[in-house]
Amino acid sequence: MTTFSPTSTLATRQIPRVAVFSFASCFGCQLQITNKEQYLLDVVGQIELVFWSMTSSAKLPEDYDVAIIEGALTTEADVETVRHIREVADTLITIGACANGAGIPGMAARDLSFHTQEVYGESVPSAAGKLVQPRSVRSVVDADFIVPCCPIDFYEFVDVLQQALMGSNKRTPSRSMCGECKANETQCFYERGQVCMGMVTMAGCHARCVNLGRPCSGCRGLSPSANLSSACDIVEGYGLDVDLFCQKLEMFNQTNPQYQEFMESRNQEVK
Amino acid sequence: MTATKISCDHMARVEGHGSIHVVIEDGQVQDVRMSVIEPARMFEAMVKGRSYLDSTYICSRICGICSENHVITDLKAIEQIFGIQVSRRTQLLRQLMVYGSYLQNHASHLFVFAVPDYLGHRSMFPLADTNPELLDKALRVKWLGNELCNRVAGRSIHPITAVVGGFTHEMSSAEYLEMADMMDEILPFAKEVVDLFNSFSVPDIAVKGEMLAMVEEGEYPIQSSDILKFLGSGDTFTALQRDDFIREYAVDHSAAFCSRTVKGDKPYFTGALARINASWDNLTSDAKLAAAKVGLRPPVLNPFKNNVAQAVELVDALVRCSEICCELAEGEGTSVPEPFKVCAGHGIGVTEAPRGIVFHEVTLDDDGKVVNANIMTPTCQNMANLEVDARTTVDYLLEKGTPEDVIRLQVEKLVRAYDPCFSCSVH
Repeated sequence: MTTFSPTSTLATRQIPRVAVFSFASCFGCQLQITNKEQYLLDVVGQIELVFWSMTSSAKLPEDYDVAIIEGALTTEADVETVRHIREVADTLITIGACANGAGIPGMAARDLSFHTQEVYGESVPSAAGKLVQPRSVRSVVDADFIVPCCPIDFYEFVDVLQQALMGSNKRTPSRSMCGECKANETQCFYERGQVCMGMVTMAGCHARCVNLGRPCSGCRGLSPSANLSSACDIVEGYGLDVDLFCQKLEMFNQTNPQYQEFMESRNQEVK
Repeated sequence: MTATKISCDHMARVEGHGSIHVVIEDGQVQDVRMSVIEPARMFEAMVKGRSYLDSTYICSRICGICSENHVITDLKAIEQIFGIQVSRRTQLLRQLMVYGSYLQNHASHLFVFAVPDYLGHRSMFPLADTNPELLDKALRVKWLGNELCNRVAGRSIHPITAVVGGFTHEMSSAEYLEMADMMDEILPFAKEVVDLFNSFSVPDIAVKGEMLAMVEEGEYPIQSSDILKFLGSGDTFTALQRDDFIREYAVDHSAAFCSRTVKGDKPYFTGALARINASWDNLTSDAKLAAAKVGLRPPVLNPFKNNVAQAVELVDALVRCSEICCELAEGEGTSVPEPFKVCAGHGIGVTEAPRGIVFHEVTLDDDGKVVNANIMTPTCQNMANLEVDARTTVDYLLEKGTPEDVIRLQVEKLVRAYDPCFSCSVH
């Protein structure tokens, strides 16, 4: 059983020292932290912000308690840096789809050389660093807490930060999204002949996109209880394109073993 | 011979990761290199083979801070291919999205990124003690921009409701009126921001390159037009003619591409200052007055004044958003997506992002799948000109016998004045 009590270092130190890091991403999750302006100073007031290069020119200190990480890892240097951060920080929080599951940058993982060739041709500028297959932070080091979604929701971030700093028994739901739409009484996109990723995606955002008239894109990542092959049967049952469903699955899950195993068995069946 | 190298590695208080290096030998600038060290994510390859529906969704993720523009620019390219004319109501809603991003971007840039330089702080947080009223109001403007995007697009980062041909959701009339009231309420503060940024002393230099902005008869266009103008040469062209006027090229010291004019091979500036120079006559009277009061009249060529130009655009955006919200509250017309037929074709969308012109070029096949994509962000286009301006700034300061640490700070101020978005530039 996971306990949510603060680690001993955090409990004995009055004000936790927090460092915010960013790797391959759109910066959107960091921005989300600043985007509830009326609460920003309340949040910052709870912690000692020792490093956040987006907002301050203070240099990274050698020691900090909590690391908040945004972005996927795309270079050898990134992977080393994250290992180092894990060694230093007592608590590590990954924020957003990129840090948690490689997100959009991870889409280049399947065939990296095709992607670099398309954009840069034969010579990738040396400033781009030594590229590796894009991967999530969590595939390299363990995260103590995660904030999902693309981009993260501010209130969910505060919830998780509170869990990390003060302890809480609040759990992130792992069921899929369909229950949320039923509670919201929104019409199912499958009934309207459109593919929606809600039935295999982790719940927790109250089906924000569906409420606003767009199908779920699956940015919270796969629900651990998702049954992908039976989901494909449902898609087929509605007369919709199963390949399109699988292509959409790839968008936020390409480095998720659950997705990879499913695709492997599916490809074998096709053969 | 004495050689000095001024290096600002991994600059703080900018969007993304960038470093600038200036090499000085015997009091002369030998080399300036602006390196974007942002990880390559390779969006143009990512969208290949995917439906036009996913393309917009994915391209939004190029940048959190500019996502409204990436979405609308991509939609414009796709609508060009499908031959869709959107309704006036959809146009106005898109206008609100872009203005919403101006409000939040300009406020973030001016107060979170730039102002600490001028007040001698490392971040904006000390303002909570030294000038809480200023910080409160600045954050209010930023909040208002975000709130506008939240209500129009469902989210300020990575909009949800804007789709090909229209919108999937709209706020209520009462909410439009509430937004208008909040815009009116903060307007006097925005005018003070123009004065504040104009009061900061900056090096007296002039952009040597070109300036590029969107133009439209009688308008201060930010997304409604497809026509672009180089202000120096007067060359005017449509988005589809882009390659006859703009050349994109790679350099080894930066992960971002650079751009120059085809004619005359000049670097160029794009952003608020270029827009003010191009369409000063079409600013709202409040914004024009605020600009005139601080002497910001075309031609303004000092890139440091881009901060003041952004402040003027805050005034302009607040007035226009209030008017648009009042019009939309009347409830006339519809933003329900226009019907269309998917077909093959080639399109180039263009909008004015907070930091300048952004192009999305898309080729689709018969099924609406992306065959080819090319994205040119404002920061890419600005990089070559920024290097030239950094050289001019350092030359100017050396001549005045300025100490090295002050030069370094001024170079950082210059980079920030461009309001670069490095995460956008490597996509």
